[in-house]
Amino acid sequence: MNILVPVKSVIDVELNIRVRDGRVVEDGMNYVLNKWDENAVEAALVLKESQGGEVTVVTVGPDRSGEALRKTLAMGADKAVHVNDPATEGSDAHGFAKILAKVAARGAYDLIITGKQAQDTDMGGTGPLLAAMLDLPLVAGVIAIEPQGAGKLGIRRLGQFGTEVIELALPALITASDSLNEPRLASLRGIMQAKKKPMEVLKVADLGLSAGDVGSAGARIQVVEYLPPPARSAGKKFEGDEAETTAQVMNLLTNEAKIFA
Amino acid sequence: MSKILVVADHKDGEVRKPTLELLSHTRGAGLSTDALLIGQNVKGLADTLAGHGAGTVYVADDASLQYFSADTYAAAVADAAAKAQATQIWISVSETGKALGPTVAGRMDAAFVGDAQGLEIEGDNVTVLRPAMATKVMQKVRFAKAGVKVITVRSGAFDVQPADAKPANVVALPAPNSNGRVVVKSLEQEESGEIDLGDANIVVSVGRGVKGPDGVELVRPLAKRLGAGFGASRAVVDSGWMPYNAQVGQTGRVVTPDVYFAIGVSGAIQHLAGMSGSKLIVAVNKDPDAPIFSVADYGIVGDLFKVVPLLIEEVGKVKK
Ligand SMILES: Cc1cc2nc3c(=O)[nH]c(=O)nc-3n(C[C@H](O)[C@H](O)[C@H](O)COP(=O)(O)OP(=O)(O)OC[C@H]3O[C@@H](n4cnc5c(N)ncnc54)[C@H](O)[C@@H]3O)c2cc1C
Ligand SMILES: Nc1ncnc2c1ncn2[C@@H]1O[C@H](COP(=O)(O)O)[C@@H](O)[C@H]1O
Repeated sequence: MNILVPVKSVIDVELNIRVRDGRVVEDGMNYVLNKWDENAVEAALVLKESQGGEVTVVTVGPDRSGEALRKTLAMGADKAVHVNDPATEGSDAHGFAKILAKVAARGAYDLIITGKQAQDTDMGGTGPLLAAMLDLPLVAGVIAIEPQGAGKLGIRRLGQFGTEVIELALPALITASDSLNEPRLASLRGIMQAKKKPMEVLKVADLGLSAGDVGSAGARIQVVEYLPPPARSAGKKFEGDEAETTAQVMNLLTNEAKIFA
Repeated sequence: MSKILVVADHKDGEVRKPTLELLSHTRGAGLSTDALLIGQNVKGLADTLAGHGAGTVYVADDASLQYFSADTYAAAVADAAAKAQATQIWISVSETGKALGPTVAGRMDAAFVGDAQGLEIEGDNVTVLRPAMATKVMQKVRFAKAGVKVITVRSGAFDVQPADAKPANVVALPAPNSNGRVVVKSLEQEESGEIDLGDANIVVSVGRGVKGPDGVELVRPLAKRLGAGFGASRAVVDSGWMPYNAQVGQTGRVVTPDVYFAIGVSGAIQHLAGMSGSKLIVAVNKDPDAPIFSVADYGIVGDLFKVVPLLIEEVGKVKK
């Protein structure tokens, strides 16, 4: 089974994020492999281990995104494609999907696995948009995968009303939930091997796209301003004997917040 | 001028509150709006949608639509949007909406923005306010090109205005062609308490601090007594102590109740992303440095196994 996994290098959201003059302050920011993409890579590796085939990872992004690719190669992916072109700057999910669709078309993939969403955008758009562009069936938010032979996968999806039990015909695109698996850590051996694995670097022109198709020029949506989130500060905290602290909070809930009124 | 198509969210034969919020808003703002119902045995809900201001209610009612599948549902939305000549498609955020929104945009070659928390509409220009980066920033997003706009909207963005049902102008849609590539075999109905998390005014959530299923059962009566929805952190869901659809957070449900109780929840950013919009937050945690206290209005530093029974008793006194 040949699998393509699009991965993204994103701002580490565990860090403190500051906004100034409508922009995110970039200095002091650290970039990491998107967490959900680790789940996607892990799922691809597990499928490869039982079904054979190859795992290709791809990213669209600047130089620093190469690090995200190397991490996935160290986890066990076989080869990488890095679309590294200033023209892609300012792309929205639609633009990234367009580029990824061109990359996907260069190979014959039975399955594409994206992350459920990227930590920086929290949009969850790229995977489903890519599926639609490639006319692939989509299952988003996958929490379990079971190969069923004959070009089929048994899938469990976290649905709105419970767990959806699905039979999916390949080729297809799925998006990985963080509950899908526990991503492996790269071994030292993996890290060494990763250095020798093929990494192809492409420009958008190599994919038959022009600069106007992608980046800010082609974007259908545009973030015009960043703002700090609504302020939320610590309130009253009570320590000590549980009977006392509970009574104090009940008193506040009743008389200050009036939640029982 | 804009023409909005609202994709209705429904459960157990009722239109869900997030849909009524969207319709209330478009009605209040005098925006021309149609609605779409997708599912099995859903025709009966059309009058509710009409009462809330939907001019035409498109209905895709078929046995093949019993369960959600992005491909078939998106086909129904594209069909309705074309017939309605919609310039905007609004879908409420849920595990259905999150998959449906971008799939519809892809199929219709339209623009997509997810997770709107506020919308400013001028003519057919829309500015969307949405959280990003695990809710550590807000983004103001504009549409850069002409064309259909697909927007998923979080619940709580607008208020529901009461309205009586009225006879709907119904347009029945043919069942979309299911090409058999995605077959939903069954839905494992996970009971997640009596009250849907998204509709609840109060939510009680449990974290790993409850230590196991017995701990969950210790807290459940608190939710019952408060008439609250019962949620959980991912740690609890992954351990199998609570169903998946009880998960609150960045990948789970986003809830904005009047009061949110976090019991034995540490307050990881991914959890905060799903509940920090609650009006009032109450936390119980034995660790005084737990991050949850940095967003909690009222915090009890203590052992939940002692605090929760006391809370249940106290709540019992004020809520009969
Ligand atoms: C990509 C990604 C997405 C994620 N999405 C989500 C999501 O949607 N929702 C989510 O919740 N998490 C999510 N997580 C996981 C998140 O990072 C945390 O791991 C998780 O929220 C922790 O759950 P918890 O607070 O229950 O457990 P812990 O962090 O283990 O906290 C348990 C808490 O209980 C307290 N405690 C222990 N015993 C007691 C006691 N007797 N009395 C009182 N307090 C006690 C402890 O002090 C501690 O603070 C995600 C993670 C990733 C990487
Ligand atoms: N620039 C990119 N390069 C490769 N994959 C991407 C890129 N942007 C998004 N993706 C994929 O799409 C998923 C969802 O991203 P988003 O739509 O931004 O939430 C990510 O988890 C990745 O798998």
